[in-house]
Amino acid sequence: MSGDVWVVAPLVWLGAGAFIIYLVSRIITERNGWLALCTTLIFTAALITLVPLALSTRHAVQVSNPLPTWGSTEPGSVRMRSDPGALVIVATALGLGILTSIYSGRYLSRDPRHKLYYPLLLLMVTGLCGTVLAADLFNLYLFCELMSIAAYVLVAFRRRSDKAIEAGFKYLIMGSVGTLLFLTGVAFIYRAQGTIALPVPSVAPANPLKLWTRAGLAFILVGLGVKSALVPLHTWLPDAHGRAPSSVSALLSGIIIQSAFYALLKVSLGTGMSARALGGILIPVSIANMTLGNVMALVQTDTKRLLGYSTVAQMGYIIFGIGVGLHYAIPEAIQAGFFLLVAHAAMKALAFLSKGVHRFYLDANSIDDLRGTAFQLPLIAVTFTVALGGLAGVPPLAGFISKWFILGEVLQPGEPLAYVGLAIFLLNTLLALGYYLPLVARLFVLPHHHTGSTMERVAISAWMAVPLVMGAALVIAIGLYPGPWWTWVDGVGPYLLGR
Amino acid sequence: MPIDTQTIGLVTILAAPLATAVVLFLLRGRSIRFAGWIAGVSAALSLAAVLAMLPALYQGEVPTLSMPWIPAAGIELGLHVDWLTLPFLVTEAAVTLVAIAYSWGYHRGDERSGAFYGLLLLFGLGMSGTTLADDMVLFYVFWELMLVASSILILLWGEGEERGPIALKYFIFTHLGSLLVLVGLIALYDATGTDSFSALRAGVSLSPGLTRMVIGLFLVGFSVKMAVFPVHLWLPDAHTVAPMPVTIMLAAAMLSMGTYGILRFPLSIFSRADVASFALPMMIAGVFSEVYGALMALAERDIKRIIAYSSVSQMGYILFGLGTLTADGITGATLHVIYHAIVKALLFMGAGWVIKSTGRRRIGELGGLAKKMPWAALCTGVGALAIAGMPPFCIFDSEWMIFSGGFHTAHIGLSVITLLGSLLTVVYAAQLIIGIFFGSPPEGLTVKKPHWAIVAPTALLTALAFIEGIFPAMLFDWVVRELPLILGGRW
Repeated sequence: MSGDVWVVAPLVWLGAGAFIIYLVSRIITERNGWLALCTTLIFTAALITLVPLALSTRHAVQVSNPLPTWGSTEPGSVRMRSDPGALVIVATALGLGILTSIYSGRYLSRDPRHKLYYPLLLLMVTGLCGTVLAADLFNLYLFCELMSIAAYVLVAFRRRSDKAIEAGFKYLIMGSVGTLLFLTGVAFIYRAQGTIALPVPSVAPANPLKLWTRAGLAFILVGLGVKSALVPLHTWLPDAHGRAPSSVSALLSGIIIQSAFYALLKVSLGTGMSARALGGILIPVSIANMTLGNVMALVQTDTKRLLGYSTVAQMGYIIFGIGVGLHYAIPEAIQAGFFLLVAHAAMKALAFLSKGVHRFYLDANSIDDLRGTAFQLPLIAVTFTVALGGLAGVPPLAGFISKWFILGEVLQPGEPLAYVGLAIFLLNTLLALGYYLPLVARLFVLPHHHTGSTMERVAISAWMAVPLVMGAALVIAIGLYPGPWWTWVDGVGPYLLGR
Repeated sequence: MPIDTQTIGLVTILAAPLATAVVLFLLRGRSIRFAGWIAGVSAALSLAAVLAMLPALYQGEVPTLSMPWIPAAGIELGLHVDWLTLPFLVTEAAVTLVAIAYSWGYHRGDERSGAFYGLLLLFGLGMSGTTLADDMVLFYVFWELMLVASSILILLWGEGEERGPIALKYFIFTHLGSLLVLVGLIALYDATGTDSFSALRAGVSLSPGLTRMVIGLFLVGFSVKMAVFPVHLWLPDAHTVAPMPVTIMLAAAMLSMGTYGILRFPLSIFSRADVASFALPMMIAGVFSEVYGALMALAERDIKRIIAYSSVSQMGYILFGLGTLTADGITGATLHVIYHAIVKALLFMGAGWVIKSTGRRRIGELGGLAKKMPWAALCTGVGALAIAGMPPFCIFDSEWMIFSGGFHTAHIGLSVITLLGSLLTVVYAAQLIIGIFFGSPPEGLTVKKPHWAIVAPTALLTALAFIEGIFPAMLFDWVVRELPLILGGRW
């Protein structure tokens, strides 16, 4: 056991934090606010431990030193490695963790079982960090399961409602099938290559791949495809993200499926699949994702299901950027995809958290229930509008500048496939206006049967207002001043392309 | 970035409305009584700052402001004023001011007034920002701000039950045009590696196929904003439903943004040879739009819709003038933007005066108002004569130039059709005036006394339509100076 301890520091800290929180809730206090505060502190500390890791990873990328690694190469030992993409995802997840745990300080106050919620939240993020940091297939599998199991439970957290149980169960079944396929794929690859180590893409075994490796890769693509909601394996997502508590949906939609997708990239490229072939698979998938997501979102009547389908569509945009980048070897296109990933995390989390406030104070769930709520919850109407405007790509918010980058980079190669994808991308952008705009409009127009008594302003708790204002500021900041964020994700493209 | 008077002026054009809008949003219900006044002062300040650019421009300078924004991607934040910008900038700032002044009389004060005036300012800011922008990202940001602000205005203050769907239709339809423009912009950005207009003017090397594609995208995209047939479908509904001050801004100023886009991108960046193959399609589309808009105006009964369709027709003249690719045609098209702004605002104001006084808006339900409202009849009558191209009112001058441009091309036949098509304008203009002001008044038509803030701007524009018709020299001088910036400057 040797190497850079900072690689496992966030994992250890979060994992330990889960138990600490549980003990705190059993021994010291059960007050929801205190538990939320402690969880926030744990997430913040984990984010701080990430700083030295980020610095050393960046340094390693720039001078082509080996990336920071922890653990021995023997089978069965824990082996972790930091890389630029993993860092982006872990940092985003921890950032969202901070926002949602503050938010939960009020949002969870009516749930009797909140003392289980915080450990589960921490375990889910632990699993997420492990998934993207793992340097061999076995650990990747374990952490991916940890993340998924915590997520299943959190989706069904409000177990009084049948629908939550149903959604959680569906997620569990589909997720387990995905895991099973993934495990089969790992077995095949182990049979073919005799190792489960996951090298960095630049030193991955060269072509041609053995038949067993190909079969294994196919299983892994489908298995992780379920977890990252690639169409047509996305069917669990609208249910799960629509029924989970909003604070959980924010994490699920914002970063969980993206981390599974990153694992998919890492495994395929690490086991020797060529970037060109992977990109060639991802481009059609991305087109299916954006088209189906947008069309289905148009016909939704429940706000959170709508947001769930919007995630399917936005995943399509992200994968489109990354897929074109891999296929035509354009690091900037991958960079643009990751930029949207970060921006989408902020926007989607903000949207779910804003929606949660409506549910918490007004019991508003369907899109029609939101009518005129701007008069009762003006602040939330503004944050919700910022989130939805960003998702629709209205300048100067984060979503617009992301699309600008993706469009700009995707046009670079001048290939027919990229042009076709681009045309579909733009049509989708237009299609998406058809559900984002009416949603925004509904917030501000008076209800059908407007009676004076129901329109009084509702005071919202600071626990909720603070993360929402932070999130909205983030969405605006990324849109207005994208420079630092753009530079932040610049290592991912060269890393995945094996340069 | 040196701080001098030019920089201060440039920043003021945008900062005055922005700051005021923010203040009005923050004050919310507390600003009912003074929101309109603050907004008016702010719009006047913005207009003054625009006019303050004139001395520098006459001395041959180009007031510019530039700072790095996203260095990693070569994106800068730049503003500049040149002779191509100025006519549009003046039009937008002046129309915003006039529309706000008109709102004092037209808009009933309530607790949302602050937001109303704030959004009007943001709408104006979007337009002047689009014209001032010297880089693509900023251009597109302001371009969309204009759309967002105007959609919200239609959604929240529109007239009639259909305003929600119509605001949505307006947004999606014009956003489609914006996306085409966006693709064109990004193709140029990829070709040059920078997003500044100055770099684009220095020359772009694209393959012939890509050049044609980019020019085509720009022309179609900007035509949506101009509301040229057949991509005009958003216009009649949006103009009819929008509250009158917003309609004035939409028709008089926002439509011209499409013209600005065509002048700024395809015509400025590419050479005459690249654009030449698009000249005839532009002229034909212009003629179609002119005739179609006029026929639809003839068929309509709602006075707002008649004037709205007349915009489709007038934008046809402008596209025709641009398509001639002659000095006269392009000068005429730019002049037509300004004169159309004056006359269209005047017509809508006259219509608003009538609607506000009588509470009716359909031709059959109005009539014989000339005796009861002589001043409204005079102002609207001048507007109608002007839109029909009668001398000595201003549109006569710009149409003259456009037709002259047409006769300089090889397509004399098309030019003759355009000229004859303008006869239809006379018919619908006459129908509008006769339907409202002459004949026998229908039963139960009562007339309320108008607010002074409705009368004063209308009278001002009436005078302007007349004065500009007789003394167009100054504006001519401004507009002609844009020519060296277009088509490589060789005429």
